[in-house]
Amino acid sequence: MSPAPHAPLFVREMGLPARFSLYVLVCLFLLALDARYATLSGLRAGLNALIHPTQIALAQPWEWLQNVGRFFITHGELAAENKRLKQQHELLAAGLRDRAAISAENAQLRALFALPPRPGFTLLAGEVIETSPDPFARKVIINRGSRHGIDAGWPVVDAAGLVGQVTRVYPWTAEVTLLTDRDQGAPVQNLRNGLRIIVSGQGSDNLLEVRFLDMHADLQPGDLLYTSGIDGVYPAGVPVARVLRTEPPRHTPFARAFCQPLGGVGRYRHMAVLVPTQKTAAAAPAPATKSP
Amino acid sequence: MNQPQRPLLPQGAELAHPPTRSRIYVGLGLAFALTLLPWMEQIRWLVPDFTLMALLYWNIRAPRLAGLGAAFCFGLLTDVARGVLIGLNALAYCTATFVVLLIQRRLEGFDTPRQTLQLAPMLLGKELLVLTIGLVIGRGAVDWRWLAAGVVAALLWPPLAWLVDRASGRAAPGMPTTRRPPL
Repeated sequence: MSPAPHAPLFVREMGLPARFSLYVLVCLFLLALDARYATLSGLRAGLNALIHPTQIALAQPWEWLQNVGRFFITHGELAAENKRLKQQHELLAAGLRDRAAISAENAQLRALFALPPRPGFTLLAGEVIETSPDPFARKVIINRGSRHGIDAGWPVVDAAGLVGQVTRVYPWTAEVTLLTDRDQGAPVQNLRNGLRIIVSGQGSDNLLEVRFLDMHADLQPGDLLYTSGIDGVYPAGVPVARVLRTEPPRHTPFARAFCQPLGGVGRYRHMAVLVPTQKTAAAAPAPATKSP
Repeated sequence: MNQPQRPLLPQGAELAHPPTRSRIYVGLGLAFALTLLPWMEQIRWLVPDFTLMALLYWNIRAPRLAGLGAAFCFGLLTDVARGVLIGLNALAYCTATFVVLLIQRRLEGFDTPRQTLQLAPMLLGKELLVLTIGLVIGRGAVDWRWLAAGVVAALLWPPLAWLVDRASGRAAPGMPTTRRPPL
């Protein structure tokens, strides 16, 4: 027998089935509202602001443990890493000088042809604080939100290439949908011959696919795919993927190709949000969250 | 009768300190905090839904104090924490709570292994319900690995129920109840 300290003699409330049906109706209403419209983003942001401090507090002990581990790193390891980083830095500096010269030349050529300047972006670095436990999607949460000026739709990159796109913004955090998510796509261009295609996620961690590829398209294993920049969301020239293999059409009129993402999608802790510079943000159309 | 006869009234510590609403909500909050821990990504799909387990536990032990309202509120919190559609987990929690409340009289009389057998379909069914609703609403492909969380929850039910029983001062089922000898 359970202890029922407040059990009344005469129950004056709705029966259990009635209450249950009410709650189910409310839940279904909320589900439909959230699936079709964006009205609940305020509620979501509010509740997230409630949960976020708890999450940070709970993650603290792990951070401390990692810091303690980092403290006991040997001098040899540090020296080796320092040397490697110096070499890398020199290489990058050389590349950067090249890039400055080329972008200046590019700007002059564009001015010559009266083309609008390429949209500019600045980097806002963030850290992955959590991977979203959602069975339907590949998402991570980063520690930059609307308070840091982030908006939904902006692209996210890491040191090696494109990672994904900001899809939801909370006050202190933002949700980044990774490139490997099934609903995510990026318009890319084959570096070898300029072929324009769309790469989509597959739901697997290290595989992207080109779903509707013309069966005569010139795409070979080993080709590098860079963003084409024609969608107004992703800037042009960000490395996206390397083609692994192509598959001839079987039941559909289209061939398929499988690619490996170049960016550390779902591997790195640090990534950067590409913040569009002011003038282009005003000129560009509203960014679509999904590519066609 | 070979089953140990349960006393009509709770005995010992449970009689002196019955579960109160505040203690139940603190317990639910702790369970929810467990799901918020920074779990490693490789085992994230194996982590059971501690919030649902706590909800079921308290609905079996104190059906008047927990209930559909608590299930709904914690469902909304879980939806936001997991970044899924708002109402998805709330619906699953409410359904599980409703079923448990329907058969609460039977469940509370069972010992833990039998309880586990009865609750396992519910814990698994909740994961199935979340995945199915997501499919129906049109979220695309589903990672069916996530059903494993339901199995893990069922496996973890006996030790966790034992732990919470002891922590909240409930007498072990095998222990002789302190009954006054007849005068």
